[in-house]
Amino acid sequence: TMDVYFGWRHLSQVVGNKRMRMTSSFQWLLSTFILLYLMNEVNSQKKGALRDLKCVTNNLQEWDCSWKAPLGAGRGTVYEVCIEDRPRSCYRLEKTNIKIAALSPGDHEIRINSLHDLQSSMSKFILNERNVSLVPDTPKILNLSADFSTSTLHLTWNDKGSLFPYHSNVIWEIKILRKESMELVKLATYNTTLSGKDAVRHWSWTSDMPLECATHHVGIRRYIDCPHFSGRKEWSDWSPMKNISWTPDSQTKVFPQDKVILVGSDITFCCVSQEKVLLAQIGHKNCPLIQLDGGNVAIEIHNISVSANSGTNVVFTTEDNMFGTVVFAGYPPDSPQKLNCETHDLKEIICSWNPGRPTALVGPRNTSYTLFESFSGKYVKFKRVEALTNESYQLLFQMLPNQEMYNFTLNARNPLGRSASTILVNITERVSPHAPTSFKVKDINSTAVTLSWHLPGNFAKIYLLCEIEINKANSIQESRNVTVKGVENSSYLVAVDKLNPYTVYTFRIRCSTETFWKWSKWSNERKHLTTEAIPSKGPDTWREWSSDGKNLIIYWKPLPINEANGKILSYNVSCSSNEETQSLSEIPDPQHKAEIQLDKNDYIISVVAKNSVGSSPPSKIASMEIPNDDLKVEQAVGIGKKILLTWHHNPNMTCDYVIKWCNSSRSDPCLMDWKKVPSNTTETIIESDQFRPGIRYNFFLYGCRNQGYQLLRSITGYIEELAPIVAPNFTVEDTSADSILVKWEDIPVEELRGFLRGYLFYFEKGERDTSKMRGLESGRSDIKVKNITDISQKTLRIADLQGKTSYHLVLRAYTDGGMGPEKSMFVVTKENSVGLIIAILIPVGVAVLVGIVTSILCYRKREWIKETFYPDIPNPENCKALQFQKSVCEGSSALKTLEMNPCTPNNVEVLETRSTVPKIEDTEIMSPVAERPEGHSEAEPGNHVAVSYCPPIIEEELPDPAVDEAGGTAQVIYIDVQSMYQPQAKPEEEQDSDPVAGAGYKPQMRLPINSAAEATAVGDDVDKTAGYRPQANVNTWHLVSPDSPRSTDSNSEIVSFGSPCSINSRQFLIPPKDEDSPKSNGGGWSFTNFFQNKPND
Amino acid sequence: MSHTKKKKKIRNRAKKTCEWAWRMGLLKLRRSCGSPSHSASLWERSRARPARPPAPWTSEQLNYLGPPFNEPDFNPPRLGAETLPRATVNLEVWRSLNDKLRLTQNYEAYSHLLCYLRGLNRQAATAELRRSLAHFCTSLQGLLGSIAGVMAALGYPLPQPLPGTEPTWAPGPAHSDFLQKMDDFWLLKELQTWLWRSAKDFNRLKKKMQPPAAAVTLHLEAHGF
Repeated sequence: TMDVYFGWRHLSQVVGNKRMRMTSSFQWLLSTFILLYLMNEVNSQKKGALRDLKCVTNNLQEWDCSWKAPLGAGRGTVYEVCIEDRPRSCYRLEKTNIKIAALSPGDHEIRINSLHDLQSSMSKFILNERNVSLVPDTPKILNLSADFSTSTLHLTWNDKGSLFPYHSNVIWEIKILRKESMELVKLATYNTTLSGKDAVRHWSWTSDMPLECATHHVGIRRYIDCPHFSGRKEWSDWSPMKNISWTPDSQTKVFPQDKVILVGSDITFCCVSQEKVLLAQIGHKNCPLIQLDGGNVAIEIHNISVSANSGTNVVFTTEDNMFGTVVFAGYPPDSPQKLNCETHDLKEIICSWNPGRPTALVGPRNTSYTLFESFSGKYVKFKRVEALTNESYQLLFQMLPNQEMYNFTLNARNPLGRSASTILVNITERVSPHAPTSFKVKDINSTAVTLSWHLPGNFAKIYLLCEIEINKANSIQESRNVTVKGVENSSYLVAVDKLNPYTVYTFRIRCSTETFWKWSKWSNERKHLTTEAIPSKGPDTWREWSSDGKNLIIYWKPLPINEANGKILSYNVSCSSNEETQSLSEIPDPQHKAEIQLDKNDYIISVVAKNSVGSSPPSKIASMEIPNDDLKVEQAVGIGKKILLTWHHNPNMTCDYVIKWCNSSRSDPCLMDWKKVPSNTTETIIESDQFRPGIRYNFFLYGCRNQGYQLLRSITGYIEELAPIVAPNFTVEDTSADSILVKWEDIPVEELRGFLRGYLFYFEKGERDTSKMRGLESGRSDIKVKNITDISQKTLRIADLQGKTSYHLVLRAYTDGGMGPEKSMFVVTKENSVGLIIAILIPVGVAVLVGIVTSILCYRKREWIKETFYPDIPNPENCKALQFQKSVCEGSSALKTLEMNPCTPNNVEVLETRSTVPKIEDTEIMSPVAERPEGHSEAEPGNHVAVSYCPPIIEEELPDPAVDEAGGTAQVIYIDVQSMYQPQAKPEEEQDSDPVAGAGYKPQMRLPINSAAEATAVGDDVDKTAGYRPQANVNTWHLVSPDSPRSTDSNSEIVSFGSPCSINSRQFLIPPKDEDSPKSNGGGWSFTNFFQNKPND
Repeated sequence: MSHTKKKKKIRNRAKKTCEWAWRMGLLKLRRSCGSPSHSASLWERSRARPARPPAPWTSEQLNYLGPPFNEPDFNPPRLGAETLPRATVNLEVWRSLNDKLRLTQNYEAYSHLLCYLRGLNRQAATAELRRSLAHFCTSLQGLLGSIAGVMAALGYPLPQPLPGTEPTWAPGPAHSDFLQKMDDFWLLKELQTWLWRSAKDFNRLKKKMQPPAAAVTLHLEAHGF
């Protein structure tokens, strides 16, 4: 059958291959073959042929072959199976399968002869390993356990490797199902190898859901991947399922309990409860419930946030109860940062570190630290202390003998993980000693001391480097480094030299090692006074002869501390001449001068300072003073607080120069201080705290020659000049009518406060009570100033003054430092009597003379005067001309006074004729307008008075410039009146332009009468003039004209020709004095007018 | 006396009590002074547990436990807290208590609570929490001394702990953090209620002993409150 099968397959393949190439015409051939095959099959069945020989193996050693019995074969059928190429390999059996040893690779012919009811049929099969399937045995789970605390399943099974002859790879497939509904939650593979022996295999799996929440089922199968086997390999069957479930205990209902997880991870909580869970919440937040088997519920938390110290609470609430758990979300420990190991004493190593990022886990979940030293294999554990700060993370490690290199690893660990930091140190290079203690100072001599201190620690093998800080008052701090060999727990000793005797020093010390790592802290400070030594120099001396010249006073300065080298107890002064040496008694310290009675011989004075240790070298000074006749007093002023003195080099001066100075106002002896300078110098700066500005000092420069001193220069000077504080005291010596002689006194030196440079003398007219000499420097013109720079001048005569006048005098002194205060005085000059007499007599004489001449003239011209000033007034009624005119006037009642053309007589000469005709008041009115066309002449001289009145109407009608000129005095006045009413007119324009246009004054009366004429003549001026309208009746205006003779009737005695008058008030608009002001001929404008016009605009 | 006047009087007394209790060091009940819940009767409290502002320290501790323990309406089952002395009592029973019983109950309650608090202190995870707890224990110890002082002044003997009834704090190793928190919660709650009840008790005691109260008060104040 097998033959047939393979033959058929082969044929099918052939057919299949050829089918591609054959045409459809061959399809019938294929159908024929199929038919033939089927017939053959049926025949063979009928004949009892075997079929479907299949072989499988589970260990590659034995094949289990089976076949299908022929139709009709039943119980009692015997099969004889023979393997052709194997000797004696025929087996008789009654079942349809046989286990045979594995055949070698290649084809093997198998003959199976079935005997049934004496009928036999034989089948042949070709068997090859390739046709054999490898199906491993079904594995069996040895054990399935659960670690509920970690939600981990542990699975164990036997791989049965002993059954398999070859080393082979095995793939295990494990499936985990959850809940009763067998939801697949995990399908894992696990690879092992078979080693020919049985081995128990383990596999663990951690569930994302607590194992308590639901039943978990586990199954396993395997697949052997044997390279030696060429047949088909198949998975084994699944093992029988094993399951894990949790038996509820009394209390715990929510899982997992007290779990520590990483921030940001996901976690599932479940509640195992018989009661119905109503609500689940984590912290404040409610969570959706996931239903599990048997009323259990779960919640899933994603990306959990960091917990507080007490953890995050998860609570499930039922009708009557409440269950919960706490979860701690935190971080694994950060790598310890800044791990540093050092020692203070080479006995104990201190390793400190910074824990880095907080883990958010406290209490039992906190990070634990272990410090491990790899060379020695020793370790120490960190004990947590209260109130941890970053600085307090440190561990102590005891040093090991003879070990200098240490390799430390600091392990940090918490429930979420671990981390480590390492450091390799040579501990002898990481020494930071403790602060030195028991620090002491001892004297060696006056310039050296011994310092000792104690340093705890085992420094026997190293050298210590120590820094000594030396502080001296008013001096720069000094540091000295010393290297000392280390010892174990002992004191150290060093000498410090080059110190000053009798000086207070402050010492302190700190140490490190020669291979510097860190300084220790400073030790305590120690103050120490070094011992005394003999004074290094003699005192600086000077001598002065007393005022009577009998005694020599020796002065010396106290030695500075660095030269005294101790406390100066006394001084020894001695003087020696060629013959003898005289020694004075000891002078105790605070005293720095001595007086010796000497003759004028040459003596050498020596001064020695003594302290408790000894005496200083002597300071010597000669008593002799060499006279100097050529001596001038010079002046000098300091700069800042110093004064510079210079002199020429004098080769005769063999020893030194001495400058002494004193306050000039003090009495003898003049000695404030002195200064010695070497003989080769030519200048020095004198500086003293005692110098004050404004005080005069005397400086004396002495040169030393042949052991005697000669005064070379005498200088008066100020450190700084100031202004005098008093004014010079001055008096008036003499006063005349035009001069004053003033005298003043010197200002005392103390109050001058500088070199006097001069005086300033001010004077002005002024009374004591009213005049104040204010602003003397402001350059007032009425103040006269005299600057007296000749300081020897003590008087001043002021001339050219006015007699009997009070003068205010002021005197002040000045220096380069400024002006001193003023002193003032009031002086009245004497009266000038001659001038007064002349001033009275001359006017009286002139007045008398004028009176006499006037009287004579009046007498001689009395007739003319009478005619001129007091003519007889004729009676108008006797005038015929007037009578005629009267009739004319009466004949036309419409004509009024203003209509002068027909009725006004243009010229009236008043004769001496006395007439009975009543007076006509306007007879004196002269109209030049009417007259001038006839005469064109100047005002005619005569014994009559022609008072001209020039009404503007007429003037406009006769625009002749000549007329204006002929107007005379009265005309000028009138023009001025015109200008009063000509606002905004410019003088130039008036002079140049048409007189008509320039006639600013437009009497109101002209408006109704000559409007037509003006319209043509004036033109543009209409607008200007039309603005003013008299409120009064223009017809009667002329009657009250001020220049009308009628105005005299109105009880007014003021007659002002030409002065403009208000039309209804008669008040003069121009003040009378304006009549005196100069009047320009054509000028219609004046400054006064301008202001007076304003109100009329 | 009208109902309104009665209410007013009660309120005034409550206020005075608070002041008095404060002087005694009885607690940081300042927040509850003058609040409406303060005048609620014990009888009412025995039935329902209205939310009331907690004392500052207990509030701080409840905050440490985290939500929902610090929520005002959180009311979990007592579980392990059954052994804690209960402050709630029927109003009639409370009224019927005599001074000796009243003081004795206070003394016993605070003795137990103090013991529990000390147990709590041992378990505190952080140093800060331990310090805070230790400070409060010292204060409570002072209060206990004050009560003992009052009892001594009135001639009442101090209650002796019966053998075997010594309160202990020995949670088993299986005690989970959550159950521990539940116990802590009830300890704090009971402590809070006891402090409130003590204020009432002492107020009543003070009122009854008004004439000679000055001496008692002075004596109490001399204890350092």
